[in-house]
Amino acid sequence: MVITWWYLYLALRRLCRQTWIMASVMQKLITPLASGPAEPPRNKVTVVGVGQVGMACAVSILLRELADEMALVDVMEDKLKGEMMDLQHGSLFLKTPTIVADKDYSVTANSRIVVVTAGVRQQEGESRLNLVQRNVNIFKHIIPQIVKYSPNCTLVVVSNPVDVLTYVTWKLSGLPKHRVIGSGTNLDSARFRYLMAEKLGIHSSSFNGWILGEHGDSSVPVWSGANVAGVSLQKLNPDIGTDADKENWKEAHKMVVDSAYEVIRLKGYTNWAIGLSVADLTESLIKNLNRIHPVSTMVKGMYGINDEVYLSLPCVLNNGGVASVVNMTLTDEEVGQLRKSAETLWGIQKDLKDL
Amino acid sequence: MTSVRDKLLQELNPGEVVPPRCKVTIVGVGQVGMACAFSILQSGVADDVTLIDVMEDKLQGEVLDLQHGSLFLKTPIIRAAKDYSETANSKLCIITAGVRQREGETRLNLVHRNVEVYRNIVPLLAQYSPDAILLIVSNPVDVLTYVAWKLSGFPQERVIGSGTNLDSARFRFLMGERLHIHPSSVHGYIIGEHGDTSVAVWSGANVAGVNLQSLSPDLEREQDSEGWPGVHKNVVESAYEVVRLKGYTSWAIGLSVCNLTQSILRNLRIVHPVSTLVKGFHDIQEEVFLSLPCVLGWPGVCGVLNQPLREHEAYQLKQSAQTLWSVQRELSL
Repeated sequence: MVITWWYLYLALRRLCRQTWIMASVMQKLITPLASGPAEPPRNKVTVVGVGQVGMACAVSILLRELADEMALVDVMEDKLKGEMMDLQHGSLFLKTPTIVADKDYSVTANSRIVVVTAGVRQQEGESRLNLVQRNVNIFKHIIPQIVKYSPNCTLVVVSNPVDVLTYVTWKLSGLPKHRVIGSGTNLDSARFRYLMAEKLGIHSSSFNGWILGEHGDSSVPVWSGANVAGVSLQKLNPDIGTDADKENWKEAHKMVVDSAYEVIRLKGYTNWAIGLSVADLTESLIKNLNRIHPVSTMVKGMYGINDEVYLSLPCVLNNGGVASVVNMTLTDEEVGQLRKSAETLWGIQKDLKDL
Repeated sequence: MTSVRDKLLQELNPGEVVPPRCKVTIVGVGQVGMACAFSILQSGVADDVTLIDVMEDKLQGEVLDLQHGSLFLKTPIIRAAKDYSETANSKLCIITAGVRQREGETRLNLVHRNVEVYRNIVPLLAQYSPDAILLIVSNPVDVLTYVAWKLSGFPQERVIGSGTNLDSARFRFLMGERLHIHPSSVHGYIIGEHGDTSVAVWSGANVAGVNLQSLSPDLEREQDSEGWPGVHKNVVESAYEVVRLKGYTSWAIGLSVCNLTQSILRNLRIVHPVSTLVKGFHDIQEEVFLSLPCVLGWPGVCGVLNQPLREHEAYQLKQSAQTLWSVQRELSL
């Protein structure tokens, strides 16, 4: 009887020792405390498309520590996995603990912001409007899936032609218009402010100037609003922005319009500036900042525009998307340019199939 | 007729040019060079970022693209250098330039070709920024750091190779994944050669000072049931894996270089495993560069940690040193 108990005791002791040796390093290292079901992320950002633009957006957002989870989606599986791994290997230097990627959109579930960069690239000399139908067909596969997994997200469309594709995205998503934004002229305005500030020898953040309307050849520089410390440049030089201007300030706007083509000609594509621009928008959206950015929004009903088109106007961005749109004081000529853009865009949009 | 600028601004010290204090020059605008540039710009640690490359259009395009993002950055000078005179007064010169290994090419041949590339770069950098720190990224990094040291004539503390800073980051990421802890809380060093024969110092791997090997004495042996040695193997292979999947690696090395740049320019005296002259350490007699834990600050390598190594770890380092020396002594520098 005693012997049986003794053997039982020995067996039990052997079992315990084996269990201790068998216990993983993690089990030995850490005594778990708080547990329970994993909570969904609160500030998840998804980037669709891991080309040069998508990755520049992703890295900018990671470097600004805006997201608690980042998801990448693309159809090219190897490239997607490679990019995900490359970002994960930098985790030590980042504050975004979860970086995932998959071809399947389920990986994007519960996103707050979805940045859409997928689509085919502008070729050298190709105007943005020529890209249209090619990219619409791609979006028909992407947008419904995004909304299925993140019905409460805000969509930021970057792919070109951005104004048309933001309209397309809005139609395909079924989301309210204030939650579908195009990156629009946020980048044009940033370029404009950089070029103008350089001429004045000051930092671009101290030069205030807006480029609105179409992100492209017919964007509208609002010269009447251009100012430094509240000093209107137009008051100093009433000819500013016109052909009569001896200082040729108009050149700055022309350079903005040409700059994308120029960079493409030199290096094949643009990515760094647009990446920074998108991260800037993402920051306002995620942090609920109510900052004003020129982004592409639905302008029907404004400035006498009667068609459902997206054009860039100064928008107050917060965690709900576009909270409101600033009523810019524009000259008749500037309003005319906006309406002309709206007509051109509607001319393309009305012929798009399967929306 | 007065210009808008003259009407707008009253200049107080026109024409005064104050030289930059934290100028960074990056040589090479390929994927690695640009990832380094982008990370450094976003960190805001430099007041002047100058890029230089032989491919003029690509260089111009990349710099233009970065300048267009100036509104979102805090680095006022971003420029493309037309020649090395524009890299003058740099505090830190990062070299990512170099040729890639061709299929079937021996390492020695690759090294010979890169030595020729470095001959056109390093002496000029040294001439225009005689007090700079050189940070070498191109591969094979340990050999090229030695080459840069020889060609520049700089003291050893000012010539650093990015070395195993990235390998260690990958190591800590993978370890962190296993333990469900953030990589910054998992400590472990990979030292030695940046490449296939790097050395994982398992004896030092710890979380909050709890030595992992004390929890599992078999940790680094092949028979370890949890497969921990696989973590190091994974690190060695991960670069090849990423290259196979996306064609090159960029983001991780960019972040790693930015991390080193911050320690140097901000004089943080953080310990990083980087490639430094190891002659005299761990019984190594050869003049070679290998990664050891170094204290990095404004002067460069302020000190090297006397990290206690197990016999087999020190032995591996000595082997690497001998291999590197056999390659280096064939070079005419």
